[in-house]
Amino acid sequence: MKRSITATSRFPSIVRLLTASVALSTLLSACSEQDTPEQQAMVTPEPMEMTSTQSMPTANPDRNAYFGDLHVHTMYSFDAFIFGTTSSPDDAYEFAKGGTIVHPAGFDMKLDRPLDFYAVTDHAFYIGVLREMANPDSEISKHEIAEGMTTLGDAADRGRKFYEIFDFMQTDRAPEINDPEIRKSAWEDIKAAANRHYDPGNFTTFLAYEYTTSDRDQGNLHRNVIFRGDTAPELPFSRIDSQNPEDLWKWMDSNREQGFESLAVPHNSNGSNGSMFALVDWAGNPLDSAYSEQRMRNEPLVEITQVKGTSDTHPALSPNDEWSEFEIMKLRIASRLPSQPDGSYVRQALMNGVALQDQKGFNPFKFGVIGSSDTHNATYAGDEDNYWSKVGLRDSDGVLRGSVPLDEPRENGEAYADTYFNQWGAAGLAGVWAEENTRESIYDSFRRKETFGTSGPRMKVRFFAGYDLPELDDPALVSKAYAGGVTMGSDLLAESGESPEFIAWVARDALSAPLQRVQIIKGWVDDGQAQEEVIDIACSGGATVNPATNRCPDNGAKVNLSDCSISSNVGEPELMAKWRDPNFDPSQNAFYYVRALENPTCRWSTWDAIRAGVEPRPDMATTLQERVWSSPIWITPTN
Amino acid sequence: MRTLYRQPLVWFLCISGALFLADAYSPKSNDAIVVTPAVRERISLLWETQMGSVPSASELDSLITAWIEEEALYREALRLGLEREDSIIRRRLVQKLNFIAESDPITEPEEASLLEFYELHLSDYSLPERLTFRQLYFRKEESAIAALDAIQSGIDASTLGESTMLNRNYAYRSALDINSNFGMDFASQLDTEHLKLWQGPIKSSFGYHLIFISALEPEQTTPFVAARDKVISDYQLASKTLARQRYVETLLQNTEIRIE
Repeated sequence: MKRSITATSRFPSIVRLLTASVALSTLLSACSEQDTPEQQAMVTPEPMEMTSTQSMPTANPDRNAYFGDLHVHTMYSFDAFIFGTTSSPDDAYEFAKGGTIVHPAGFDMKLDRPLDFYAVTDHAFYIGVLREMANPDSEISKHEIAEGMTTLGDAADRGRKFYEIFDFMQTDRAPEINDPEIRKSAWEDIKAAANRHYDPGNFTTFLAYEYTTSDRDQGNLHRNVIFRGDTAPELPFSRIDSQNPEDLWKWMDSNREQGFESLAVPHNSNGSNGSMFALVDWAGNPLDSAYSEQRMRNEPLVEITQVKGTSDTHPALSPNDEWSEFEIMKLRIASRLPSQPDGSYVRQALMNGVALQDQKGFNPFKFGVIGSSDTHNATYAGDEDNYWSKVGLRDSDGVLRGSVPLDEPRENGEAYADTYFNQWGAAGLAGVWAEENTRESIYDSFRRKETFGTSGPRMKVRFFAGYDLPELDDPALVSKAYAGGVTMGSDLLAESGESPEFIAWVARDALSAPLQRVQIIKGWVDDGQAQEEVIDIACSGGATVNPATNRCPDNGAKVNLSDCSISSNVGEPELMAKWRDPNFDPSQNAFYYVRALENPTCRWSTWDAIRAGVEPRPDMATTLQERVWSSPIWITPTN
Repeated sequence: MRTLYRQPLVWFLCISGALFLADAYSPKSNDAIVVTPAVRERISLLWETQMGSVPSASELDSLITAWIEEEALYREALRLGLEREDSIIRRRLVQKLNFIAESDPITEPEEASLLEFYELHLSDYSLPERLTFRQLYFRKEESAIAALDAIQSGIDASTLGESTMLNRNYAYRSALDINSNFGMDFASQLDTEHLKLWQGPIKSSFGYHLIFISALEPEQTTPFVAARDKVISDYQLASKTLARQRYVETLLQNTEIRIE
């Protein structure tokens, strides 16, 4: 049946109509008269002391750990939409608070416990545009590139369309589809959803988006931009405005002058092919102090882990780190080109940073760390035993993501699908230490770099350094450590003589595995050369560190690969240690950060295989050691 | 001729012809593209927002030229009716009108209206059962048992317990929240029948705990004073929705709808 609406009378004036809305309170009074006495009785106000606790817990000067995901794509991201995601920012925030989203492949996605903070970060370029293309009534659906958008089919079809659109976006015809009105409308909805779901004291949201740029060779330079307040510019700055991240920082600087405070978090440096932490600027000139100041003013944090791999370090860069081969993703983003490790990993950048500090007096890589997921399902990555991966219908089951063999081998005899999703992992989360769960408090912890990243579990890490730290058994340890030292993200001025003390304290996630060891990772400059060292400082089972190797003995924790059960009674709920650096040199620039490892557990790919009743794929790791990384503490040398 | 003078049609033709000619030859002041100081300022501000600096005189000149061209094209597009049947423009216009319809002239709702709204939506302001408790942590079960004995023989509980990153006090925690901190099935092991007594040891992911539940809040409705901020935001959202609904209703009342 065809439906038509014909206006036959004069169009009523808006002003006159608006008077109708003023009648709202009258209407509500009328309805409430029907309230029962029982309902009235239930609202008798209670004493204020109690009610104030209920609405907003008091701020904790020792700070609480809060966990969140600052990297989430919804239907407004061009790629997420092609992958089948139709969930909105509102849906995503509801999910983070404990709600359920149905995956486009039909299964439910729900967290086992809500997150404390969350930010939807859709791609700024073409924001909302692909969704509009799929609307057959829209003008843009008639564009030749939109062909097939309304009838997207299986994973292969969606993969093809993704690359076709992605390639089109690199052409000079791209502006034809980059309609600002569509983008404004999407961005307004994203901002409104973040503000709507912000519940100070309980759940924090941020206005945010992803600036998705790359260098000339597809080296990944993506950043998430996070705003502190409840307003943001009319349109986000995208790679269409400029591919040069230095222009993003200019835009952020100018926003700051107009009252829009924000910071940017680079991610997937692992796929940058050396460009994320290159020692030259966009124009190819050596870095200078102006570059360094501008970068640090705008980028206090980096994402150290997410689904598309972990960017702590690479085996080629850290040959003496036995745990460096962790969730390594070898390719440039959205391509099959290899990504060179040099210039692509966080630890090396921190080392180059202190070397530049030593040689030239500035440090452009003095950042703290977080983890996040980069989900394109408007949810989260899921856990190892309940993994959702991140690209909708393209990687929604074991066969598609290469952990379970195909029904029939490929023509070349390969048993598994031809995909790079097998290089991805079930990570990660951002942790912060903040007084309370509000935008101001959490954003300020980003600025202080009092942050940590985890590969998924909600592990907590405290880290202090100083010359006046309390004993480990002191009941007021935390407040005294804040008072007598510095915490993660800060600088400590070296005093001549012996090493400062370091306190590292790590607690397991109650719903994950026990801890195996706590390590200090040190980077320093010696004779102009950046060096690194990994030192175990606390071992499970009360074992002591071998001073010759700086290693804990193996605690013997095992994983049963037939059902993923783990050794009971091995590993620790918490580990803590006070440590002095025996090689401390007060004249050296240095940084120290904590890495703590869980006992081994099954990786997502092994869970996939068990559920499918097949052997785990032989060329993939069957287990992993989930971990937490603290932000560093930097030593300012004495002269 | 005299009869012609009396024909209304002739009068009509003469008068309308004169009006047509007058209109055709008069300057079209209403249709002119006028670059007012307001337009100039808006163009300049837009540039400043995007580029971070005030446009120079020559930049402003070329921006204004571009604006004039755009305005001329825009008007011609409207004249040709190109905005019709374009779903993006259609959606954008509807969105703008919704925004206008939703903008509530009352910014600060009256207390009485808020209270009435709250009472009408009590189910939105309820909380699950929550516990307020103290906990003492022990790595080993026998240490926890010994501590419980010590408490029962009069030792001050606050002097007991081993170091942990867990809090010693938890206020108003739901079962989900407790399990998230201590491990699955922890909350279900707690005896919530007998309050203000030390109970345990209770096993968690960390070890063993002695628990003293000082208060149990049954599932309840948040008092108005505590829920007020949320009531305000919900009230404003509902006001917008209602205003929009009424706006649409009034529009439809003045519109004939035919389904063919």
